[in-house]
Amino acid sequence: MAAMSASTAAPLRRDPAHGVIAGVAAGIARRFGVDPIVVRVLFVATSAAGGAGLALYMLAWAIMGGEDGKLAPIERLAGRRETLMVVAGMVLLAIAALLLLRKWGFWLSDAVVWPVLLAAAGGALIWHQSTAAEEPAPAAPLTAPAERVAPRTLRLPADVASRALVGAALVVGAALVFLWLNDALRPARDVLLAVVVVLVAATLILAPWWLRLVRGLSTERAERIRSQERAEVAAHLHDSVLQTLALMQRRVDDPREVAALARRQERELRAWLNGRRAAGDDTVASALEGAAAEVEEAHGVPVEVVAVGDAPLDPRAEALVAAAREALVNAAKFAGDGPVSLYAEVAPGRIEVFVRDRGPGFDPAAVPDDRRGVRESIVGRMERHGGHATVHTAPGGGTEVELVLER
Amino acid sequence: MRRIDRTSLVAGLAITVTGVLLLLDRLDAIDVRFGYGLPLLIAVVGVILLAAGLEGRRDRG
Repeated sequence: MAAMSASTAAPLRRDPAHGVIAGVAAGIARRFGVDPIVVRVLFVATSAAGGAGLALYMLAWAIMGGEDGKLAPIERLAGRRETLMVVAGMVLLAIAALLLLRKWGFWLSDAVVWPVLLAAAGGALIWHQSTAAEEPAPAAPLTAPAERVAPRTLRLPADVASRALVGAALVVGAALVFLWLNDALRPARDVLLAVVVVLVAATLILAPWWLRLVRGLSTERAERIRSQERAEVAAHLHDSVLQTLALMQRRVDDPREVAALARRQERELRAWLNGRRAAGDDTVASALEGAAAEVEEAHGVPVEVVAVGDAPLDPRAEALVAAAREALVNAAKFAGDGPVSLYAEVAPGRIEVFVRDRGPGFDPAAVPDDRRGVRESIVGRMERHGGHATVHTAPGGGTEVELVLER
Repeated sequence: MRRIDRTSLVAGLAITVTGVLLLLDRLDAIDVRFGYGLPLLIAVVGVILLAAGLEGRRDRG
């Protein structure tokens, strides 16, 4: 149990501070909660028996990162065009060293050493890719669709999946080589041939349908992303430009006020197009306070803000702030002169925002289809970013908009 | 001043050493058998690839 808890707590990294050569054995021992001497004895014993331990040590050194987040040697090479050449050179040198060891008699058996090395290389690749896939994904851009910002889906990136596939192929290949060299495949040869023939025939028959299915899914996915991006743009234009134009029509008799509204809208639209954020809006609480101040200034309705807790403003939280702003605008427009209140509770795993007014309320079912405020800018926006919005209202009973975002 | 191409230097040296060893074998000064010749050949190719890859990395910064 202790070993299990240690294995989940300590990452697999080299530990040069407690190591003899490069800290590989010490790092593996720490990962599995065993004494480093046990791992060192295993490396030495397998090195004496055919040199496999030496090759495994080099492989582990190449794929294990160092302390303080230092990248593994193979990771430092990753992404370069020359990586393949360096890796191929290292592999050829390792093979030459093994052939020499074999020639000098430090060897167990071809039927053991080669499959073990092949399986170790494949296993290491799979293990490395699986731990790489656990790293948290970087934050999504401002206008990313919901599909890209949802972080909880178990979906490996294409390059990670392909490398894991190569690792799996190496392990399976090693197992087959081992069985073949030990003459264990003879009874299965006829069955295997029949299975291969059937598989080839099935592939030839099903390939066109499969290709069509893949293309159809890609088209459907692209269409869904386009539709979500359109909805995001429409919601933003509704909350900013359309609202400002409506305000300008209402204040047409005050040219200075109209000009000020136009300037502020221009600044906001330019900042949005350039992906910039308003100065000072770095946290959820400050962004909510900023939105409340804007609404108060534009509509002349007092907005009381109470925020408990705070968190950095990421793209999903920005969507929540935009939805809250739209709820405030609705309250300011339709609730009369009474105060509007905004209560926000920001916890580590959850953000809740409540916007309340004491206005006449409304019947949500009676809202015309062409009105986008509640449906798209609040409910739709929250759903696109993995949250949800609920409107509690009834004619004559005030309105409360509840926004919840799980993080 | 002309910069030395390390890949060419390593490749030239490796091939020269291989050639000298094969010449000595031909002159019966040493005995290079297949058991040693194959690892030597593989190691030469490996060294050249490694040098070329590392040189490329250095150039790209």
